[in-house]
Amino acid sequence: MKIFPDNISTYGQEIDDLFYLILIFVSIAFLISIIALLIPLFRKREKAAYFTGDKWVHLKWVALPLTLLAISDFIILAKEHGTWARIEEQIPQADVHIGIIGRQWNWVFVYPGQDNELNTSDDIVVDEQNSELHVPVNKNIVIDIRAKDVLHTVTIPVLRFKQMAIPGRTIMKWFQATKPGKYEIQCSEICGLLHSRMRNFLAVEDENDYKKFLSELYQQNKQLENSLVSSK
Amino acid sequence: MNHTKQNFWTKYVFATDHKVIGKQYIITGLIMALVGGYLSYVFRMQLAYPGQSIPLYGDMGPQQYNAFITLHGMIMFFWFAMPILLAGFGNLFIPLMIGTDDMAFPTVNMISFWIFFVSTIVLMVSFFLPGGAAAGGWTMYPPLSITAHQPTFWGSFFTGQTFLLLAVALEFVSMLMGGINFLTTTINKRAPGMTAFRLPIYVWFANLAGIIFMFSVGPLIAGAFMMLLDINMGTGFYDPYRGGDPILFQHLFWFFGHPEVYVLLLPSLGVTAEIISTFSRKPIFAYKTIIYMALIASVLSVIVWAHHQFISGIDPRMATFFSVGTILISIPFAAIILSYLATLWGGSIRLKMPMIWTIAGIGSFLIGGLTGLFLGSDTFDIYAHDTYFVIAHFHYVLIPVVIFGTFAAIYYWYPKYFGRMLNEKIGKIHFWLTFLSFHAFAFPLFFSGLQGEHRRIADYSSFDSLMTLPIQHIRIISTIATIILISSQLLLIINVFWSYRKGKVAGRNPWEANTLEWQTDSPPQHGNFEVYPEVYRGAYEYSLPDRTEDFYPQNEK
Ligand code: HEM
Ligand SMILES: [Cu+2]
Ligand SMILES: [Cu+2]
Repeated sequence: MKIFPDNISTYGQEIDDLFYLILIFVSIAFLISIIALLIPLFRKREKAAYFTGDKWVHLKWVALPLTLLAISDFIILAKEHGTWARIEEQIPQADVHIGIIGRQWNWVFVYPGQDNELNTSDDIVVDEQNSELHVPVNKNIVIDIRAKDVLHTVTIPVLRFKQMAIPGRTIMKWFQATKPGKYEIQCSEICGLLHSRMRNFLAVEDENDYKKFLSELYQQNKQLENSLVSSK
Repeated sequence: MNHTKQNFWTKYVFATDHKVIGKQYIITGLIMALVGGYLSYVFRMQLAYPGQSIPLYGDMGPQQYNAFITLHGMIMFFWFAMPILLAGFGNLFIPLMIGTDDMAFPTVNMISFWIFFVSTIVLMVSFFLPGGAAAGGWTMYPPLSITAHQPTFWGSFFTGQTFLLLAVALEFVSMLMGGINFLTTTINKRAPGMTAFRLPIYVWFANLAGIIFMFSVGPLIAGAFMMLLDINMGTGFYDPYRGGDPILFQHLFWFFGHPEVYVLLLPSLGVTAEIISTFSRKPIFAYKTIIYMALIASVLSVIVWAHHQFISGIDPRMATFFSVGTILISIPFAAIILSYLATLWGGSIRLKMPMIWTIAGIGSFLIGGLTGLFLGSDTFDIYAHDTYFVIAHFHYVLIPVVIFGTFAAIYYWYPKYFGRMLNEKIGKIHFWLTFLSFHAFAFPLFFSGLQGEHRRIADYSSFDSLMTLPIQHIRIISTIATIILISSQLLLIINVFWSYRKGKVAGRNPWEANTLEWQTDSPPQHGNFEVYPEVYRGAYEYSLPDRTEDFYPQNEK
């Protein structure tokens, strides 16, 4: 059994590597401690040794492992900090800028209209149960994350992507997907009755398919608008 | 000592004797543990066999699922762990360990218990309210916790969420009164000669836990009060469309919620210290260092709260601060655990039931503590947050700390309070069933978490990626283990009742321990000691080289 699901994002591997790094440190610490815990149980002694550990020489048995632990702590922190900054703080120039809105109980997707800019009047909002979010492969996707009613959390395990969606705030996040395919988008913040059903998809497509999808979307949108106008 | 005559009511119900009050807390706590355990049985069955009728419950929908996980978390923390480890054991042990007759304020003590008891009733009533029990998770994050319940009659007051908040408030009042009582008692009522650095570690840690609780609970009470107003008066503290902010509650909640774990951890580590020293026949290693480390850990514990919010919209640069703080807490706690390991080293180990629980507790807690490093790292938390990796991690902290710690204490101190020993044979079976089924329940959850299984999902069938075979098997294994884990507790109940009648008579000091509670009758009479003790040495003088006996009670000249 694999440890993680496949990774299809540019930064996912760094998160996985961090896991293995920490795993090495904690496994060593665990093994040493468990051995130190079990050995005395199997050594029968009539009379216990008397040492209180109040002397500095005794304390070296605690100080030495603690120093090692502190060093591992700092290695972990040094290793992880660059990744954190790259994922959370340094948002790259957007190739595609889209919006995700959480509502009870569906993910709503917002595409920029023909002007290719989000938050303008020609934005197209797709709010269909279990719909797909289409993005092009190997492009910087920047997302505005919002929520309508309660808290939700956008979770895309294959991208190692997770961000809470908060009513009243717009949070900007980004990713770049490296492999075309259809993947699950989960909601991992309890958001009421149908939280378990709040599942949509991420469709990663190559450039051409993505263009085709967009033009179809524009067309549908046009038709919709026209029918609204004519029914007035 | 002059003690007035007692009738049934003043002796067993409205008692002011700390020993009776301690037992009242523990019995109430254990009953609530069964309630919390039953809830976990029901929702684990739902996870393993979604949509099927559950034996001893019936059909479960998503609303009940959400309510049951919410109440499971709440009950386990506030109606099981706190009342037993802090209020229960604190009442039973502190006055005896410091060599006095009772708490500083016995009547306040009695009132504290009854406020706690009322909180239990209010909580249980919340299950049966028209809208159903609270169902927004034990973290109660708004806006969900505010809007989840549509008012049904008499406004919105009679809703699960309001009653949950009221119950929590009552519980906190009770624990606050108790904590103040502990501190006053420890400061003012110590036997002559009982200096600060001769106190048993349990007394130190229980008081420290009380202080952390008092320090951290204020913001949560304020936060809960604003939530009550939001629900019942329509104010908008947490509503962004009226100028409020849902994140505000998260900060107030975790400013309390993170230290709360240390409020449970410390008393349990105190119990561990008493037992490990007595059963290795050795002084506890580096007593003073342990206490200083606990002080450092307590201070750190209140400044790392936002590590629960790495992915919930805090300033990403702030996350670094909280990540560093969290990971550095590993150092003082490692120091305490290492001191315990050094205490065992070179000891003449007596593997009696209390010691077995303690060793198993330390060994299992290591897994919980070390997996905290993964989550303390803000970067890995992007992936792990709200998955079953977290569930596995905190159950690896809480079950060794709360459940194993409680059982160790019950086996160790039962003879003191009931005059008879618990049966070791039943004890061993109880131990192995509990120990093995705990690991079988919790360990596999690390793997399903890493596979991306997110928590608080009543039914995974919407997610193809989470319906694959290894994960399905993990759900079933974990559920079967839960059933074994819960049903083996029957053995403890049998043991407690059987030994009460038929157990070996204990005598004053069956474990040959040093601390003062062992130097009086078992059970101690009302007023605790015939002759009030005077203290001549520290609590852990075992195996002194120039003595024939390997123990040296604190009050022996
Ligand atoms: C019989 C032993 C136990 C079992 C089988 C068990 C099982 C579980 C499971 C499966 C969940 C996740 C539910 C979900 O997210 O869908 C959970 C949540 C939780 N458990 Fe336990 N648990 C046990 C004991 C404890 C203890 C002793 C504590 C604390 C002292 C505890 C505290 C919690 C908390 C705080 C949650 C989170 C609730 C929430 O998501 O709102 N549990 N438990
Ligand atoms: Cu949601
Ligand atoms: Cu949700």
